[in-house]
Amino acid sequence: MSDVKISGLHKHFGAVHVLKGIDLEIPTGEFTVLVGPSGCGKSTLLRTIAGLEEVEQGEITISGQRMNDVRPRDRNIAMVFQNYALYPYLNVFENIAFGLRARKMPESEIKERVTSAAEMLGITGLLERFPRQLSGGQRQRVAIGRAIVRKAQLFLFDEPLSNLDAQLRDEMRGEIKKLHQTIDVTMIYVTHDQIEAMTLADRIVLMREGRIEQVGAPLDLYERPATHFVAGFLGSPKINFVHGEVLISGSEQVLRLVDGETISLPAIASTWPKNIILGIRPQYLGLASESRSPDDVRFSRIIDLIQPTGSRTYITVKLGGRDLVAEIESTSRGNVGDVLDLSFNRLNALFFDPATGRAL
Amino acid sequence: MAQSFASVSSAVRRSPQMPDHNFRYWIIAPSVFLLLLIGLFPLIYAFVVSFQQITMTDYDTSFAGLVNYQALFSDQRLWESILHTIVITVIALPVELILGLALAYLFLEKMYGKQIFISLIVLPTVISPIVSGATWRLLFDQRYGPINQVLSWIAGREVVMLWTIEPILVYPAILICEIWQWTPFMFLILLAALSNVDKSLTEAAELDGAGFWRIFLKIELPAIWPVMAIAILIRGVDLFRIFDMVWALTGGGPGTYTETISIYTYVQGFRQFETSYTAAIAFLIVALMSFVVTWAIRRMGLAK
Repeated sequence: MSDVKISGLHKHFGAVHVLKGIDLEIPTGEFTVLVGPSGCGKSTLLRTIAGLEEVEQGEITISGQRMNDVRPRDRNIAMVFQNYALYPYLNVFENIAFGLRARKMPESEIKERVTSAAEMLGITGLLERFPRQLSGGQRQRVAIGRAIVRKAQLFLFDEPLSNLDAQLRDEMRGEIKKLHQTIDVTMIYVTHDQIEAMTLADRIVLMREGRIEQVGAPLDLYERPATHFVAGFLGSPKINFVHGEVLISGSEQVLRLVDGETISLPAIASTWPKNIILGIRPQYLGLASESRSPDDVRFSRIIDLIQPTGSRTYITVKLGGRDLVAEIESTSRGNVGDVLDLSFNRLNALFFDPATGRAL
Repeated sequence: MAQSFASVSSAVRRSPQMPDHNFRYWIIAPSVFLLLLIGLFPLIYAFVVSFQQITMTDYDTSFAGLVNYQALFSDQRLWESILHTIVITVIALPVELILGLALAYLFLEKMYGKQIFISLIVLPTVISPIVSGATWRLLFDQRYGPINQVLSWIAGREVVMLWTIEPILVYPAILICEIWQWTPFMFLILLAALSNVDKSLTEAAELDGAGFWRIFLKIELPAIWPVMAIAILIRGVDLFRIFDMVWALTGGGPGTYTETISIYTYVQGFRQFETSYTAAIAFLIVALMSFVVTWAIRRMGLAK
C-alpha cells in the first residue's frame, strides 16, 4: 500500500517538451486513470513513475520515499504493458513466476503463489502453454497474473486493453475493476479511451499537451469540466458547442447565437466576456415538452441525420451554423427532413470563455 | 469483376502461343551447365585424382587404391596443422563472440556520433585479410615495428619481442590480428539482433526485478540465438579455412609451427606438387567439415 506524489516533473525527448511541470498526488489504494489524447504525455508519465524513463527535473516519491534515482526493479512496482510483454521463450507458469524467481523466492512458495493467481484469473489449464499459443484475452490474463503474484505496492497499466476486440475489452475492464476491489492496491491506469476512464477510475487525471488539465472524480469532470477541452473530451456522443455573443438589454442578459437564436442567461453573465461558447450535452437536449419551465430554451430545426443505437437515437440538426446532436428516445425519432421542436434546460448548459478555454 | 479476371487468366494459360512448361528448364539449362562445369566437375575430378599417384615428376594415372588415404594417417605434419587450426579457432571464436557482444551492448545505448563510431569499428572487416596480415607483420616487426616501440615506451627500456619468430609469441600475434579483424563482424550482426529484441520485454523483466544476467539469459539470448548461431557457424567455418592472414603474417612459421590446414594443403599441392596426395587431404577436410557443420546445425537447432 502506498501513495504516489509527483511534483514539478519535466521531461524532454530531444527538442520536444513532453511533460511540462506535472504536480499530482495519488492517495493509497485509489484507482487513478491518466487519460488524454495521443501524445499528451500520459504514457511518459506512467513510464517515469515506473522508472523506465529518467526524471529530468522534479521529484517522484512513493510511500514518502524519493524514487528519482531508484532502479525500476527496486521500486516494487508491477506493470502491465500494452502488448502484454510476455516472455516468448518461457511458458505461462514461468512467465508468472519470473519476478518471484528473480527475487529468489523458495520454490514451494512460487508454486503456491502462481497456482493461486492462476485460479483467480481462470488460467489454471494454460500454465504449460507458451505465449504464442494463447489468445489475446488469455495473454492479457497472464500479464495481469504476472503483476499480482509479485504483491507489489503499486500497479501500473499502460493501455492494457487497446489490443483486444470490443467485447473482450468490456469483459476485461470489468475484471480489472474487480481485481482492484479484491487486492486493494494503488493502481495507475493509462488509456486514451474516455469510456474506460469513466468506468474504471476513482479519480481521473485528464492530460493535454504535457500538462494536467483537470483532476477529479469521473462524474465531477463530466458535470463540471474546468475547461472547454475537458468538456469536449469526456462524454459520448460528444458535447455540442455553439458560439454566441452576450447581449445586455436592460436588466436581462441574452446570448445571441450566430444564426440569430437567442437564449436568456443568468444574472452573472454581465461579468462574462462578449463572445462565449455554449456547451450542451446531447442527453440534455431533447424534444420540447408540453410543460414549459422558465429555464427552457426552445427551437425548431430540420433533421439532418438520424443514428439509432438501440433504445436511444442520435439526431443531428444545425444550430448556430454547427452540427448539434440530440439524444432522444428511439420511439419518437421522426424522419430526415422533418422539422423537430427541441429544447434544453439552460441550467444544464455549460459556458466557456473562447480566449482562455476556461469554464465560466 | 473477379470472375472476368479469372477467366482471362485461364484463357492465357490455355492459349496455344504459350510454350510448354518444360521451357523454364531449357532457359536455366545453360547456367546450370556452367555451374556444374566449374563446381561439380572439379570435385569429381579431384576425387578421381585422389586415387591416382600424380606428382610433379610422375604423371601416373593408374588406379592406386587407398594409398593416399592411408598415407594421411601417418602424416604427422598434417595432424599438427589440423591441431594448429583448431587452436586458433577455439580461442579466436569465443573471444570474438564475447567482445562483439560486449561492443554491441555498448552501442545499444543512445550516444552522439553512433553511426560514425560504428563505421569506424567495422573498418577492419573491409580490409582484405592478406593486406591486414602484411600490415600487422610490419606493426609487429622487431626492429621497426611500432608495437615494440610503444612497449618500450611503457616499459621505459628497450623491448625486443620477436612476434613472428618466437614460438611463444607467434600465436598471440596471429590471434590479435584475427580478433582485430573479425570482432566487428560479430559486433555488427549481434547489434542488429539485439536492437530487434522487443524493448518492452526487457523493461518488463527489469520491473520484475531481474538483473542483467537473468535478462540476458532468459530473454535476450533466446531471442538473438538464431542469428548468433549463424554468426558462430559462419565464423567457425571461416576460421577453420584460415589462410591468407597467417600466410602474410608468419608464412606458417617458424618452421611449420603455425601451419594451418589450408596452408599445409597449399604447400603440398602448389609447392611440392604432390597432386594426388593433396586431393586426398582436400577430401579429408571436406569430410571433416561436412560432419562438423551438420552436427553444429543440428545442435544449434537451425534445421527446424
